[in-house]
Amino acid sequence: MALTANIPPKRAEKALKPLARSDSQWSLVMRRFRRHKLAMISLGVLLVILATSLVAKQIAPFARDYLNVDPAAKFLLPFSRDPVSGDMHWLGTNHIGQDLFTRLIYASRISLTTAFLATTIGTFIGVVLGTLAGFFRGFIDSVVQRVIDFFSNLPNLPILLILAGVLSSDPKIIPMPDWLIKLIQNIMLFEQEREARVVAVIIFILSLLGWTGVARLMRAQVLQVREREFVEGARALGANSLSIIFRHVVPNAFPPVIVAYTLGLAGSLTAETGLSFLGIGIQNPIPTWGNMLAFTQSYMWAHPWLPLIPSFPMFLCSVAFNFIGDGLRDALDPRQAKG
Amino acid sequence: MVNFLVRRIAAMIVMLMITTFVAYNLLNLAPGGPLAELLQQQQNNTNRLDPGAYDRIMQRYEFDIYLMPRYTRWLIGWPNGPINLFGQEMFGGTQVGCLREGRTILKYPDGREVVSDCESPVFLNDLKGRAVSNGILRLDFGTSQGILRGRPVSELLNSRIGLTMLLQGLSSLIALIIAVPLGVITAVRQYSKLDYVTTAIAFLGSSLPTLFWGLMGLMFLTQPLKEAGLPYFPPGTLSSNFAETVPILGTIKPESPLDYLWHVALPVSILAFVSLSGWIRFIRASVLEVLKQDYVRTARAKGLTERLVIVKHAVRNALIPFITLVVTILPGLVSGAIITEQIFSLPGVGNLLVGAIYGADYSVAMAILLISVFLTLIAYILADILYTVADPRIRLR
Repeated sequence: MALTANIPPKRAEKALKPLARSDSQWSLVMRRFRRHKLAMISLGVLLVILATSLVAKQIAPFARDYLNVDPAAKFLLPFSRDPVSGDMHWLGTNHIGQDLFTRLIYASRISLTTAFLATTIGTFIGVVLGTLAGFFRGFIDSVVQRVIDFFSNLPNLPILLILAGVLSSDPKIIPMPDWLIKLIQNIMLFEQEREARVVAVIIFILSLLGWTGVARLMRAQVLQVREREFVEGARALGANSLSIIFRHVVPNAFPPVIVAYTLGLAGSLTAETGLSFLGIGIQNPIPTWGNMLAFTQSYMWAHPWLPLIPSFPMFLCSVAFNFIGDGLRDALDPRQAKG
Repeated sequence: MVNFLVRRIAAMIVMLMITTFVAYNLLNLAPGGPLAELLQQQQNNTNRLDPGAYDRIMQRYEFDIYLMPRYTRWLIGWPNGPINLFGQEMFGGTQVGCLREGRTILKYPDGREVVSDCESPVFLNDLKGRAVSNGILRLDFGTSQGILRGRPVSELLNSRIGLTMLLQGLSSLIALIIAVPLGVITAVRQYSKLDYVTTAIAFLGSSLPTLFWGLMGLMFLTQPLKEAGLPYFPPGTLSSNFAETVPILGTIKPESPLDYLWHVALPVSILAFVSLSGWIRFIRASVLEVLKQDYVRTARAKGLTERLVIVKHAVRNALIPFITLVVTILPGLVSGAIITEQIFSLPGVGNLLVGAIYGADYSVAMAILLISVFLTLIAYILADILYTVADPRIRLR
């Protein structure tokens, strides 16, 4: 006691610092993730695609819905010049003379945002319901379980089709908050509110069907975590349920959900593509990778490079999401890591 | 076991009822519907509907009946007229629908006057003699409203289901035959060349949509192969219009069994490829997990040959969770490979469903949906039963 009293406060603080910097959980995870080469490359690729879509409006050489029905402007090869303005069509043009590069970067913005929003909303619902069910058990648990059973027993694609078919015929059938519509309109650079409503409906449908897996995962995790000693300790110290949930249970149950989230992104992207292909999802003139690919089906015999243009970024993104998911799984749970 | 089955089947019936109710209401609440096109024509002033035609169309789709009675008519074929109690017809005057909306004053014979929002109400008496199905619960799916108007839905389904079952059954079978051994081998020989190649291909296959593989297959395996003088695949549809000569396979006569087989070969391989890529990854992961278990070490320690350890101890246990994936083949057999059928323009159930949704043929869409929900539920019960067969530790109670 006497010793510490003689040391000036500054030095006392220094002395208390550990010699070696201890690693926090997150820096450990990040270090393990950085070692996963494919995941890092994927992250880089994804960031490049995100960056291009972020500045879509600034770098796009043409307006999104610019079209030129002049036969000379149709199906131009990549790196050819516009017959009217002389501007460069980096990736050529489609059947109505629209610039494919412009459409593609707008589409990546729209497709990726749709996937992100749908997966985020679905994961959020899943985490909330799964945590409630797992933590409180009893009545809430059985209700949530029944709802999960109901949703996961539905055959996915047929239901998706019917919902999308019904709802996209009149997007106003589901009341959406105006701020959400405004947000989507601003993110996706839509000029018309109607377009934002259509996309909002698709996001709603995708997230409605995507939450059950996460809820199940979160419930199982929470059931395990709530029996651990530190939760018991927190309860013994007098913490209430809310603070136990937020400070102990959710952070400890969360890692597998992060992995499920990245894989869910790939799933949403695929589902949106499928719907757009069937002509029930997001439709022209809003460009998405899915409907751009769908449109090329009629022309791909004569112009075989056309389907490759929208499939390439789609391919990159879904592979990237999967690799990042793999990398995160290995980083978050070293027990399951290969080798 | 019996107790379990009874409870599960009861739960299944409840689930089925809820699903039909939700789906039926969703479809019927949808704005537009079969009348949308007609109303659009009205606005264009090209084809004015006279009131008689309007009434007839409303009656054909039963849009003049309220949603609830319409649902029960679809479900069990009731009410189909006044309720018959002890030989007496009752409740004949109950209003069950409204043909045309409009503010009117109804004058009853006893002098009452009621202001109503309905210009021409439909009463229970009016339902007498109207065509009605026996109800979907009595396996009568009703009649088609759009695609083949007036023909039984079951007829439409029958004509499509064979192809879908062939597509799905054959592709699942191929996928199973390839995925199980390959998944096990890649796990046992982890980090071998075979493992790297297989895992990479499986990764690509499962991370890209069927749509992508379908279009790629259509693009690279049909016309380009033909031009290169190699055996090629036909570009979609179910049969050729004329005899085609294919290298190795020889001349294929149109509409011969070989012709059909040749046409479904590409879609089947693509479906098989996509599902086997997912399955290989699943089986590989689960075999790797099992190989780390204590009982595998015990089996090795007591001197069993590696072959016996893997086949008898590891694989058997590793395949138990795989049951959940395999049973999903069952609903797929009927609900169809929607996207693949669409890409290759094959007339299967998936194609029918897309057509039904486009054409607002709700009785067809509902029938397909109901059957696939039913089969999904059956598949889950089947999975639980198979679990007990594969793993004696699991008991159903």
